[in-house]
Amino acid sequence: MAAAAPYSLIGKEAPDFALHALVGSNVRLSEHLGDVVVVSFWGSRCGPCATQLNALNRSLSTYQSVGLKVFGVSVDDDQVRALEYAKGQSVTFPLLLDPSKSVSRLYVVDNLPMTVLIDRGGVVRHVHRDYSAKDEALYLKELRALLNE
Amino acid sequence: MPCDASFSRRLRAVVLAMAILSFGLVTGAPSAYAQGATAARVAQATPSAAPDAAQAAPSPAGAAGPAGPTASDAASAPSDGASSTLASADGATTEPPADTRGLDEEIQNLKKDVVDLNKDLFVLEEELLFPANTQVAVFVSMDVGEFFAIDNVTLKIDQKEVANYLYTPREAEALLKGGVHRLYLGNLKVGEHELVAFFTGKGPNDRDYKRGATIRFEKGIGAKYLELKINDRQRKQQPEFEIKDWE
Repeated sequence: MAAAAPYSLIGKEAPDFALHALVGSNVRLSEHLGDVVVVSFWGSRCGPCATQLNALNRSLSTYQSVGLKVFGVSVDDDQVRALEYAKGQSVTFPLLLDPSKSVSRLYVVDNLPMTVLIDRGGVVRHVHRDYSAKDEALYLKELRALLNE
Repeated sequence: MPCDASFSRRLRAVVLAMAILSFGLVTGAPSAYAQGATAARVAQATPSAAPDAAQAAPSPAGAAGPAGPTASDAASAPSDGASSTLASADGATTEPPADTRGLDEEIQNLKKDVVDLNKDLFVLEEELLFPANTQVAVFVSMDVGEFFAIDNVTLKIDQKEVANYLYTPREAEALLKGGVHRLYLGNLKVGEHELVAFFTGKGPNDRDYKRGATIRFEKGIGAKYLELKINDRQRKQQPEFEIKDWE
C-alpha cells in the first residue's frame, strides 16, 4: 500500500473557523490563540472515532489546566444522526457541526478519525490520520511537547 | 493613472521599509541570548585564563570550583560576572559586553516603527482595495439584548449573499458592552441597491428566533456606511431590528 501523502498544513497557520456546537455555544478557533488546540474530525459511522473521542477526553481532563483545548468536528451530512451520536458520548469538550464540510475541506480531511494538533501560536504541528491505541503514546508525547513550549 | 503610480510607489516604499526593519528586529531581537552566547564563546576560547581569573577576582561564578567557570556559568552570569572578568583577563583580544539597556531601547523603537508602518500599510491597502467612491461598510451593533441573543447574521446585497457571520458568546458579549462589529466591507457602484439582513438567535423565553430587515439605499459618490441595530422594544417585549443609513 502506498504511504499517505505528507499533510500540507504542517508548519502553516491553522485555518480559522467558526462552527455551531451540537451542545453548547459556538466556537471560533482564533479565540483560542495561546492555547494548545486539538481538533478531531469524526463521523457517526466511524468505528474508532468513539474510542478516540474518549481518549481525547482523558487527555483534556489531565491537561486542561495547562492550556489544552479540544474540539470535535462532525463531518456527518445527517445532523440528527450526529446529534444522537454526540449525546451517546460522555465527553466534556464541544462537539461541532460542519454540515457544509467547509472546515473539513480547509483541513484536508481524507480519513476518519483525523486529529490535528495546533500549537499556542496557531500553527499546525502534527496530524494523525487514523487512531489505534498503540499510537496514543506518540500522540501524548507530541501533546506534552507542545504544552511545554 | 499618475495617482495610482504614486500610490504604488508609496506602497512599495512602505513594504521595503518594513522588510528592512523586520530584518533589523530579527537580527537584533535575541540580544540577551547573543550576549550569553558571546560570553560562552569567550569562556571556551580562553580555557587557560579562566582559573587564573577566578582566583584573581573571586566572584559567585568563580566560587563554583577550582576548575573555574564553565561555559554555561559564563552564559548565565550577569555582565559584571565571570564573563567580564574573563574578558579583562584576556586583554585586548576580546571586547567588553555591549550595554543591553541601549540595545533594548533601540529594539523597542524599531518595534514601534514597525507597528506604525504596519498601520500605514493597512490604511493604504484599504484605500487601494476599497476606494472611497465605491466603498460600502456594514456594521452590527446591539443594545441591551434582553430579548435577543445573537447567533448568526446573514447579509445579502442585491440578492447576493455577501456575508455570513457566526457569533461566539465572547463576541456577543462584546457587542452588548457597546462594541460595533464590521460585518462587511466591499465595493458597490453608484445607484440604488437593496440590502437584506437575516438575524438568527434566541428570542424571548429562549426560543429560536429568526428575523429579517431590509433597506433600499442610494449609493452616491463617497463611502456608504450602514448599521444593523438590534434593540429591545420593552413595550412589545420583543427585539427590534433596524438598519440605519449613515451618510
